[in-house]
Amino acid sequence: MTARPVPSRVGEAGLGLALVADLLGRDLQRAARAAGSPAALWALDAAGMARLLRLDAEDAARLAGWDRRAALTAARVHLQEHGATLVGAAGAPAAPPRLGAIYDPPLALFAEGDWRVAAARMAESPVIAVVGSRRPSAAGRAFARELAAALTARGALVVSGLALGVDAAAHEGALDAGGHTVAVLGAGLAHGYPRANAHLRARIRRAGCLLSEYWLDTPPAPWRFPARNRIVAGLAHAVVVVEAGARSGALITADFALEAGRPVLAVPGAPWSDGSEGCNALIRAGAALCCGVDDVVAEVAHPGWRDDAAVPAELPEGFPAEVHARLREAPRRVDELAGALGRDAASVSAALALLEMDGHVLRGEGQRYWATPRAAR
Amino acid sequence: MVSTVVSPALVGLDTATVQVEVDLRAGLPAFSVVGLPDAAVSEARERVRSGVLNQGFAVPARRIVANLAPADLRKSGPQYDLPIALAMLAASGQIPAGCLAGVGAVGELALDGGVRGVPGVLAMAEHAARRGWRRLVVPAPNGPEGALAAGEVEIVPAATLRDAAEALAGTRPVVRPAMPTFDAPSDDARGPDLTEVRGQQAARRALEVAAAGFHSLLMIGPPGGGKTMLARRLPALLPPLAVAEAIAVTRIHSVAGLIDPGRPLVVRRPFRAPHHSISVAGLVGGGRTPRPGEVTLAHLGVLFLDEVCAFAPSVLDALRQPLEQGVIDVVRGNTAARFPARPLLVCAGNPCPCGHDGDPGRRCVCPPGRAEAYRARLSGPVADRLDLRVDVPRLDRDELLGGAAPESSAVVAARVRQAIARRVARGQVIPNAYLGPTAAREAAALDRRGLGLLGRAVDRLALSARGVDRILRVARTVADLDGAEGVGDAHLLEAIALRAPAGPEGS
Repeated sequence: MTARPVPSRVGEAGLGLALVADLLGRDLQRAARAAGSPAALWALDAAGMARLLRLDAEDAARLAGWDRRAALTAARVHLQEHGATLVGAAGAPAAPPRLGAIYDPPLALFAEGDWRVAAARMAESPVIAVVGSRRPSAAGRAFARELAAALTARGALVVSGLALGVDAAAHEGALDAGGHTVAVLGAGLAHGYPRANAHLRARIRRAGCLLSEYWLDTPPAPWRFPARNRIVAGLAHAVVVVEAGARSGALITADFALEAGRPVLAVPGAPWSDGSEGCNALIRAGAALCCGVDDVVAEVAHPGWRDDAAVPAELPEGFPAEVHARLREAPRRVDELAGALGRDAASVSAALALLEMDGHVLRGEGQRYWATPRAAR
Repeated sequence: MVSTVVSPALVGLDTATVQVEVDLRAGLPAFSVVGLPDAAVSEARERVRSGVLNQGFAVPARRIVANLAPADLRKSGPQYDLPIALAMLAASGQIPAGCLAGVGAVGELALDGGVRGVPGVLAMAEHAARRGWRRLVVPAPNGPEGALAAGEVEIVPAATLRDAAEALAGTRPVVRPAMPTFDAPSDDARGPDLTEVRGQQAARRALEVAAAGFHSLLMIGPPGGGKTMLARRLPALLPPLAVAEAIAVTRIHSVAGLIDPGRPLVVRRPFRAPHHSISVAGLVGGGRTPRPGEVTLAHLGVLFLDEVCAFAPSVLDALRQPLEQGVIDVVRGNTAARFPARPLLVCAGNPCPCGHDGDPGRRCVCPPGRAEAYRARLSGPVADRLDLRVDVPRLDRDELLGGAAPESSAVVAARVRQAIARRVARGQVIPNAYLGPTAAREAAALDRRGLGLLGRAVDRLALSARGVDRILRVARTVADLDGAEGVGDAHLLEAIALRAPAGPEGS
């Protein structure tokens, strides 16, 4: 292909480069910087791109044999069929300028769901990323859900990475509170990864949107998840890390946020809990402490905050209240509660059922019941 | 000269009549068996020849043809040895020709002419009684089992071919087999006792509720928590089998060849714990001549599926029909068999694939998402068949060594019996677990407060209609255990606490 492409409509370079990245299975960020801009990289012919990307002979031949006109047309059809839009293209609002301010903004961004509403919310509301371990404790999961719900009630838009664990809990909390949420994926939108969250994806598509910088069919790869985290951090005004081990990917999100000069908050953990080592390290390094929604509001100055906080259901009186008080001391099993309170397992179970129904307790690890952590403070 | 004797054939638990005809024709001495025999039936020639000779009879030097009619029914097993031999003796005039009229026979011959036991004699004796046969010759070890059949047929136990021949010819008196007595199992025969299980108050309570309402149960806990120990103690909590139930169980176990000749009547509730590598046919029954599977062998007893997540999904899926309808239809080629299958299903599983998720003493080593995927498997085909769920944690040292002496099985069983008595007094014959949706709503009618509570549970816990029915059935059982007329708040709440995890379409 020797003819220079005609100067393009909005987003053509982004779409084209996403296709090239998918074709070659690699990241084009560095090449785009070397070329001066994504548009400049896209304006190069196949040979020029191959030189800049230092492609081997095989990949260079693949790129040379690739018909970019035809591919672009096919891609636009494919986008429409999938119901996805190219962020910033004709008719679709651009991403918030915050995202462009990070070191390495994505070359393209594909959206599925209601991008128009999500973009408007991102422009006018505080955007808070809630991230954390893929294998949180039951309490960590519950706290992420509660915090996301409380943030939503206070007018924030919750962003996360749709991973298992804390990410999924944060999205759920925002949706359960009747809000929107934005999920940034580490694979193409058509890939349905992670499969366990398929149901959640469908909910987000209806109330919020899914974003990915990768072409629809791009498969997940280990290096794409850290890259995804920079977009999560880039979209947010602040990042809250709910539960993260010493090597959690959530810490990468926090690093990106710090790099972009955005506040990072961490939910502290007990020193004997491995699951919160990363959070505690963040606090040691200067991250703000997050024990509830008020800490986030205090850290992020934004006119979009509202006052109406969610009111938790009232605690039932009598024996269930006694059970709840015991659980606030420490998570316990039915047998332990029965022994400590001098009642039989049947009546303890009944009290727990009542408490569980109103969300005061939850079933957690070790077959123990936990008092639900509250985040609405 | 043709002689005929009838013999009962098993088709699953059902039976059919096979005419065993033996003809002696002129020609070179030979012996053939026709009529869709399998290998074991064809080999009857050798056993019959030796048995007849070794009992002092003669094998006629003629062309012997044994025909098993109807010719389209597949005959299997060595049970036709004795009828073939008797028909041959009658055809050759070694016993009076008329003595086989109205007589059925079944049994395998040893080479010395002894008669060996065969499976399914109870079902065969019942067949003989239904068909109005005068006598049924059975192997001596199966005599007491045959005597269990109600009806007019005279059971003739035979230890040898000569016994059978002489009893039929009338030259020796028939010794009627002893009717097995129906004794409730003695304490040591009731199996392991609950006093051996330390702690686990919640799980013990779940067992009690399961026994009182025949509710299926799921136990979740790390290895070493005592799930298997608890399950093994469940049969002893159930009320003893009634006579008709014991005979039904005996019939099944007899067909499967599991009867202990010393105890011809099964009075203990069966406990079956198939390994998770079991096939579909092994679990629900099958085979060329259909044999009952584990779900039928556990009829009226306990079917325990340990490591339930390790069973093949297709195997668990095959449990649908039996658990819903109480029977299983096995169709193989041109035979179809229906087996009863009403076990109390108890499943046990680990909280995650490595088993240590949330165990304070150990570390779970499962990668992220694995435990969720594993639990999703658990909530697949079986989950919506389960009424109760209980956690069985691994106990810490203090709980293992200390604490008061636990209740014995007898004490818990007494409470279960009382609960069942109350249910019967309410005029309800079937266990609470088998109540249909309408019946469950009637039996567990709630007052305004209770309805409000249930409504809240439906909202907050995302219960489906099926989940609500299950909670109502369990609440009825809890109220029965409590001796209460109606279902109160506390009963309803305990039932909610014991609810099983959500199935694929919600709980």
